[in-house]
Amino acid sequence: MHITLKIYSVLVLLIAWVVLSFVFSPQILPGPIPVFQAIGENLTSGDGFFHLYKTIFRVLLGLAIAMIIGSAFGIVMGISPKGEKFLESWVMVGLTIPAVVYAIITLLWFGLNDFAAIIAIGITAFPAVAINMWQGVKDIDMQLVTMAQAFQVPRRDLILKVVLPQTVPYILAATRYALGISWKIATTVELIGMSSGVGYMLNYWFGLFSMTQVLAWALSFTIVLLAIEFLLINPFEKRVTAWRAVVQV
Amino acid sequence: MKKIIVRDLTKHFIRSDGSRLDVIGGLSFAVEEGEFVSILGPSGCGKSTLLNILAGIDHLSGGEILVGGRPLLGGENGVKLGFVFQQPRLLNWRSIRENVRFPLEHGSLSRDEQWRLAQRYLELVKLKGFEDYFPQQLSGGMQQRVAIARALAIEPEVLLMDEPFSSLDELNARKMRAELIRIWRETGKTIIFVTHDIFEAVYLSNRLLVVTERPACVYESLTIDVDYPRNYDDDRLFEMAKKVGRFFVKMEEGHGA
Repeated sequence: MHITLKIYSVLVLLIAWVVLSFVFSPQILPGPIPVFQAIGENLTSGDGFFHLYKTIFRVLLGLAIAMIIGSAFGIVMGISPKGEKFLESWVMVGLTIPAVVYAIITLLWFGLNDFAAIIAIGITAFPAVAINMWQGVKDIDMQLVTMAQAFQVPRRDLILKVVLPQTVPYILAATRYALGISWKIATTVELIGMSSGVGYMLNYWFGLFSMTQVLAWALSFTIVLLAIEFLLINPFEKRVTAWRAVVQV
Repeated sequence: MKKIIVRDLTKHFIRSDGSRLDVIGGLSFAVEEGEFVSILGPSGCGKSTLLNILAGIDHLSGGEILVGGRPLLGGENGVKLGFVFQQPRLLNWRSIRENVRFPLEHGSLSRDEQWRLAQRYLELVKLKGFEDYFPQQLSGGMQQRVAIARALAIEPEVLLMDEPFSSLDELNARKMRAELIRIWRETGKTIIFVTHDIFEAVYLSNRLLVVTERPACVYESLTIDVDYPRNYDDDRLFEMAKKVGRFFVKMEEGHGA
């Protein structure tokens, strides 16, 4: 039921696309068939994979930086009221500044290279991680912590078996947000200052006014992100929150 | 044999404005091995703090506590004490069986032994057949049984209970009290039971300590000489409860004067 509904929703989207592609000219909205053909050609021609790989590489490293810095901020803010007061404004400022500003600054500082791109992604995505982790740490049930202390559970077990399981939903939410943000800023950085990656290819085909290729590249990366969601994040979430499903029956 | 000796125990907290809050002021009592002692006092009088100190969650400010002749030490080398809280405090993402096993996991027992103990105490609290359920699938009373099984599974020297039935409705609480008496008599554990419910204390315990308001100290110690299993309609228990009630009135007046 759940899965068939998902399939229907994708089908409806595809049909709408086909119908609209008949209404507009191919220069404005090409249909799914030429777009998927373009994706196929890009991937078989050789450098398609290279550009996809470049973007994924930057996104994942940037995401890792965002998760590490964001988690550190979130944990400090969740544990210490002083830390909360001190860091809150940083996170809010980080959240307010447009991503493109980070992109321009890091490119000016570090040059037109992967390092600059990764730093830009990490800085842009970290506030979202910090906010989720902050909430997650605040929501830790201290009663369970004192329970474990009363049973003289060692610190390591306390963190792994009592604290961490409670924060899993927040870690997952943080990962999802940060992944979405990372990919958007990655394309922006690539568009402004890189000579590889999906953003660079989007810019290239924009210059040639090829709507088919622009859609092909956008769709390629969307498929990669969906694959990460449905092959990695979703199954992991299902496994660690299986008890919820049982309880709700 | 004296299982627990508490001598001149004091505890104060320093509030955030720097002022000092005396919670326990020179509390002394002893508990015999196998005894069921209730500590009865007004809400917020420091009863829970006393249990927390016994369990090693809080530190004492002064005085001493001996358990089985040894001074109370926190940490892993300390005395094994089972704790049942007011709320079940179960790990919702673990099955009932895994919840009972939880405090055993860091000990020296083999896996098989851990499962065997968990199973044994789940059966003792009459939860056989619910091992694979999750806490939220059970009623409040059943969850509290799981918490009792968990506390017993570590085979503690003393069982500490902090108003464990106060969040249950009266009918369920009565059932649980009868169950607790059965478990106590089957296991022969020493139990320290904190409550603010006079009749509950009278119904359950061998001995009852009436504790004053903050800073807490023992106002009166009463032996309840009624055989188990006890009956809720027993006049002797009613008389006892009335007597304890009068203590509270007197204590209140003494405080006001």
